Amino acid sequence: MRALSYTVAPSAEAAVARFAAAQGSARYIAGGTNLYDLMKLGIEHPAHLIDVSRIDGMDAIETDGDILRFGGRALMTDVAYTPVVRDQYPVLSESLLKAASQQLRNMATVGGNLLQRTRCMYFRNGAGSTSMVGVYPCNKREPGSGCSAIGGLDRTHAVLGTSEACTAVAPGDWPVALMAMDATIEMLGPEGPRNLPIAEFYRLPGDTPHREFNLHPGELVTAITVRKTPAGRASTYHKIRDRESYAFALASAAVALEMDGATVRTARIALGGVATTPWRSRAAEAIVTGSPLTPELALRAGRAAFADARGGQHNAFKIELGARVIADALIIAAERRA
Amino acid sequence: MPTQAFSEIARVDARDKVLGRAQYGADVKKPGMLYAMLVPATIAKGKVSALDVAPAMETPGVVQVLGIGDFPALRAEISYRGQPTALVVAETVEAAIEGAEAVTAVYETAPYIPLMTSPGAQRVDAEGFNAGDVDRAFQNAATIVEGIFETPTQHHNAMELFGTVAEWTDGRLTVYEGCQNLDAVKAALMKAFELSLDQIAVKSEQVGGGFGQKSPPKMQTFLVAHAARLIRRPVKLVTPRGQLFHIANYRPRSVHTIRLAASAEGRLQAIIYDVVQENIPDGGFRSTGYHEDIARLYAIENFRATAGDIHIDRQMPRHTRGTHPFPAGFALESVIDEMAYKLGKDPVELRLEHEAKNDIIAGQPLSPHFLNDCLREGASRFGWSRRLPEPGSMRLADGTLVGLGVACGIFGASMSASEATLRVRADGTTRMISSGHEMGQGILTAIANVIIQGLDINPDRLEVLLGDTTLGPQLATVGERGTASCVPTAAKAVEALRARFAELAGANPPAGNLHQQLARLKRPYIEVKVSELAPGQDASAIEAYRTGGRAGTGPDYPGFTSMSYIAQFVEIHIDATTRRIRMPRAVSIADVGRVVSPRTAKSQMYGGVVWGFSTALREESEVDPRFAGYLNDDLADYVMAVNADIGEVDVGLIDKPDPRINSVGVKGMGELVMLGTAPAIANAIYHATGKRLRKLPIRINDVL
Ligand SMILES: Cc1cc2nc3c(=O)[nH]c(=O)nc-3n(C[C@H](O)[C@H](O)[C@H](O)COP(=O)(O)OP(=O)(O)OC[C@H]3O[C@@H](n4cnc5c(N)ncnc54)[C@H](O)[C@@H]3O)c2cc1C
Ligand code: SF4
Repeated sequence: MRALSYTVAPSAEAAVARFAAAQGSARYIAGGTNLYDLMKLGIEHPAHLIDVSRIDGMDAIETDGDILRFGGRALMTDVAYTPVVRDQYPVLSESLLKAASQQLRNMATVGGNLLQRTRCMYFRNGAGSTSMVGVYPCNKREPGSGCSAIGGLDRTHAVLGTSEACTAVAPGDWPVALMAMDATIEMLGPEGPRNLPIAEFYRLPGDTPHREFNLHPGELVTAITVRKTPAGRASTYHKIRDRESYAFALASAAVALEMDGATVRTARIALGGVATTPWRSRAAEAIVTGSPLTPELALRAGRAAFADARGGQHNAFKIELGARVIADALIIAAERRA
Repeated sequence: MPTQAFSEIARVDARDKVLGRAQYGADVKKPGMLYAMLVPATIAKGKVSALDVAPAMETPGVVQVLGIGDFPALRAEISYRGQPTALVVAETVEAAIEGAEAVTAVYETAPYIPLMTSPGAQRVDAEGFNAGDVDRAFQNAATIVEGIFETPTQHHNAMELFGTVAEWTDGRLTVYEGCQNLDAVKAALMKAFELSLDQIAVKSEQVGGGFGQKSPPKMQTFLVAHAARLIRRPVKLVTPRGQLFHIANYRPRSVHTIRLAASAEGRLQAIIYDVVQENIPDGGFRSTGYHEDIARLYAIENFRATAGDIHIDRQMPRHTRGTHPFPAGFALESVIDEMAYKLGKDPVELRLEHEAKNDIIAGQPLSPHFLNDCLREGASRFGWSRRLPEPGSMRLADGTLVGLGVACGIFGASMSASEATLRVRADGTTRMISSGHEMGQGILTAIANVIIQGLDINPDRLEVLLGDTTLGPQLATVGERGTASCVPTAAKAVEALRARFAELAGANPPAGNLHQQLARLKRPYIEVKVSELAPGQDASAIEAYRTGGRAGTGPDYPGFTSMSYIAQFVEIHIDATTRRIRMPRAVSIADVGRVVSPRTAKSQMYGGVVWGFSTALREESEVDPRFAGYLNDDLADYVMAVNADIGEVDVGLIDKPDPRINSVGVKGMGELVMLGTAPAIANAIYHATGKRLRKLPIRINDVL
């Protein structure tokens, strides 16, 4: 048996210290819904698991001040059903509730969710585990081995932010909503605490697709914060997938609006399921800002978001679908204005 | 003499299943049991030139590794990706996995043809069929509709994986595993290990879904049995789903070219039909079977069918729920729909006008059947009359496109000879030894209901036994013939037992239920053993049943042919902007003859709609030709329907016996129940959008 140690960290500081002591062979584990999966698939081979799911206080959900603060190990379910989140930030709540299944959401944490890895089938199913017969080259899994998805079965792959090395989609729904809401990630590392805007948290694949996060080794996500804004209310997370639940997005849009009557004062638009990172579209935002929202304008905004998109063999439909999802999301969000 | 309608009883094994007491193959635990894992080949075709099992042997916990040459099934020649090259046996399942992952192979690769569309793939023609004068009918036709239809490679994906436990005691082999044909497994094991009848037992008391995938004997059964004998300890293997995608059978991709001719009066006159499917040489799933059911669906006298196979380098495709009539029916029911539009006829009306009386294949009458009742009942429950005929003409207030679609299905009502032993005891218990496999379809409940409704016994102390070769012969539970075979035999056993009791009790039987009566008569029990034949069979069929021969027959019997029928109606909504496809409503009505167990029959009907929905809009096994394996080989990526996908489903059964097929009038339904859903959905999408989609699965990108 491969040796594997498992310890429960009592505090964030203890977790970070333990990670540092393990010298690179450790992984934090929270709900385990992604990490155990990756271990069984033969993609992750940690020697030490440091369980952060019981750290005192790191599950706190604070909504009193002028920010919303979600502890890194708060459960997806708990955040989604927090009254303030549910009622005043539907974009956040819906992004969680349209993800995975109730059972998974009861285990999975909002911090772990940020760090889940791509669903690219060549990445997941090609590591040579006995449970998955495949052995596929993949730059993300084995840097330099090549990308099987390019020229292959890429129907679910990205059309934005791709590179010659990798076209894998960033899978999470919650990070897309956080991207629209300009969230900040709070971290604790061997060098001390650090805050990073979510826009700087994710890396484009470029020629290093194996490096997905701007997270230093051993850094622990302690919290996620979102500045309170009236845009939260006129918001939605709209997700289109291959079935009505229990599936990742083919295309999704997180939209939050501030409106004067029918006119859009500010718009925040982020996309999921179509890009290699959670994807903010300033171009789409610019189209609707300052104008009365009509279905035609909404669709124009959607199209603008995909101006630089590039389809592969089977995924070009996402360019049109993604534009329409944005259009629908804008209309839904606008209908929710106070 | 067909019986009265049956009243509804609960599923007899529901409580055991809910409480986790029902035993499946993989649940079996034996003292000292070891765990095994297969090592799959990672090339599509070629040869293993070297296999290094040493690292596996060095893995702590590994007890034994069988490699190339250690057992006939472990061959150096590789003919599909995933073909087992070794079996690792260890003290724990984790060690077996780790050992299996430590085995390395050196391959010589050979060119391969992964898909029927791959360069070099060639069609091999199979036998065709002709009835009537097709050419003349087409020459005289006023309206012709044609299309090329395609259904994808799909895997059964029963919830239960392939789980096998093998144990040897004093030279006697016992195997526990989920399967649909115990006698075939038993015979193959006897041959492979040179065993006599008293040296073998195969048990499959509960099967967690078969759908055809568990019909043929599995390679793993032999490997596990061999390992258990070699090591002298029980061995268990539960093959992971990713491997099953590659080694278990599947529904082959098939392409159907169909032309339908109608006369100036709007009568459907003739069909020219061609099918080609992916297959392996000498594959067990015949391309010649596709036309056989659909040619009997309507009164269309002229029918020409041609068929072919394209040989591919993957594992063997085989029967999958709905088998031939599902892909062929998708083509037929789509062109019937298209013809209705061309003729300006209502699609229900057009079907009603073409009720078949004759089987053009066997050239004899069809047994009385009730497809038109299904259509009328379905149309009324569904509210078909509110359909506006024009495509794209129905919308919701928010712009959502609405489509209503209908389609029918037909499946041969075959039967098998079988035996049963029924014993009622004075102590209040009853035991029925029957035959077959409980796969969740409810065969136990159906048999129990025949006994409960026929005899005054304690229903909660009735035990129905099957799925175990030590009980006696076990008929193959395939082609939806299990219930239709066992139930008439059970009915005969009930009759025989009543007769025996009457003989025993004389003119003045004592009071009480049957158990009390026996007690008063001082008889500890009475027992009958009966056998029942399908129409036209003679005693040789029972002999075949007893010896593992071909005991099945039909759906064409001497002088008549019997089929099961279904009509399904669906409502499809398509979002105006994103084109998300949903099915808020479906109605499914079937003629399966006499309904023996209303509860489990309805359950089949619901499941059939879900399965049909999933085949139409979700499922496809994806092969990347550069690698030849199945890329989406798990339940996250092989998209199947989930609860949230399924709207309101209303099911109904005509429940009129087929007077000719057997004493109860019962026909099969397990495959039938999914047949109409996919074409009904495609027809509804056409009605909603004006777009005729001829390739499954239909996905959002097809309607954008
Ligand atoms: C079948 C299935 C369907 C799913 N569908 C969806 C979906 O539709 N949409 C969606 O968004 N998600 C979906 N998910 C993913 C799910 O949301 C994530 O697996 C989950 O959010 C991860 O959280 P976790 O706490 O379980 O993380 P873990 O599995 O415990 O950890 C994941 C990663 O994060 C790291 N980590 C965990 N916590 C921290 C921390 N505090 N600081 C630093 N690193 C940390 C771990 O080291 C690991 O690398 C699905 C998952 C499954 C299994
Ligand atoms: S898209 Fe990225 S993750 Fe997928 S195979 Fe290519 S490199 Fe690997």
